[in-house]
Order: sequence, then C-alpha cells, then structure tokens
Amino acid sequence: MVLLQPDPFLNELTSMFEHSTEKGTVWVTLKRSSLKSKVQRNKMAAAGEPLEYRCLIRATNGKKTISTSVGPKDHQRFQASYATILKAHMTSLKKRERKDKKKVAGADKKEGGSKKPKRA
Amino acid sequence: MVYITSWDEFVERSAQLFRADPDSTRYVMKYRHCDGKLVLKVTDNKECLKFKTDQAQDAKKMEKLNNIFFTLMSRGPDADVSEVAGKEQTEAQPGKKGRGRKQ
Repeated sequence: MVLLQPDPFLNELTSMFEHSTEKGTVWVTLKRSSLKSKVQRNKMAAAGEPLEYRCLIRATNGKKTISTSVGPKDHQRFQASYATILKAHMTSLKKRERKDKKKVAGADKKEGGSKKPKRA
Repeated sequence: MVYITSWDEFVERSAQLFRADPDSTRYVMKYRHCDGKLVLKVTDNKECLKFKTDQAQDAKKMEKLNNIFFTLMSRGPDADVSEVAGKEQTEAQPGKKGRGRKQ
C-alpha cells in the first residue's frame, strides 16, 4: 500500500483510470481518520489535546493500491482536482436526453436509449 | 445489500450515518468503464447503503456528494455543509472581535 502526497496521488489515480478503460475497475474509498494508533489517541484524549482528523483516500484497480491523506486546509484544492479527474474519465455513463425524443422524429440512433418510450 | 433507488434518500441517509459514527463510516466508489457502471456504498460496518447507476447525470450528483463527504471528513461531523461553493464563508471564524472598524 503506497502512501503518497495528494498531488502524486492524483497523477497515479489518473493513470489508473486510463489503464482500466477496456477492462477493469477503479475503487476509491474515503474515510475519516486521525492516523494515530488507539494508544496514542487515548493518551491525547487524556491529556486534553484536540485530535486532528484527516480524510484518508484510497484507490485501487484490484492490483495496485495507492492512498493519501488530506487535511482540512488542502481539502478544497484536492476536491476540485479530484472532481476534474472524475468528470474527465467517467465518459462511458449513459446520457439520458428526453428532450430529443420529441424533436428527433423516429431517428433514434442511440443504442439502448429507448428506455421510456413516451408514446401517448 | 441495500440498494437505494432515490438519490436524495441515499444522500440524506449517508449523511446521517456519518454523523452518527464518523470514525467507522466510509464511502466507497466503484467505477467500471467497460460496463459503464458506477456504484456508491456508504457503510459504518453495521449498516450499508448502496446506490448504483449508469447515468451521466448521477455522476454530477455524485460530485456534489463527494464535496459533502470531503468537508465532513476533514473538518469534522459538525461541519457546516452548505451544498457546493461557499462552504468556506459559512463557517464562522472564532476569534474575530467586534471592533473591526477603525473610525
């Protein structure tokens, strides 16, 4: 399991998406963690120190796993880049365009697009 | 596996699940380009909520959900989640004394 900085993580994530277009899956997991062991946490709680939480992000393609942890300060920037990557790669999802049904008379060239044939 | 059909219900229940147990709740996303499918899962190891889709419009909604989770997780479960943009502004910064204006 490779722990990376946020930026190299994003680069690796991009290449994972690119490599799994023909076959394969990409899993991304988000979890909150303080990245400290239970013992340390108990000690900190006893001493009255506030625990600092970070967001742990893991990604895998089944073979390789990468991870990074993002704190409250860098999370805005990370989330923007992450959203861009997702938008760029999730292209195989279907686009549901109901408006076209009225205008395009009978010329439905979309495969499997006829889910709801709204014929009154 | 509990598959939820309504997006809004999925979001609502996931946020509740997270606020109830922030330390053990995790959000998993699985994407298969070859099948054109996206599955989201939120679980706290006791209860599990899932949402699956093949629609591009749901990917956009998922991005908003990602934002919500990022905010909740990095700032804490009590973070003010005001959907997309302007999350920074709504959080009141403590330590600002009343006398801002110098006259």
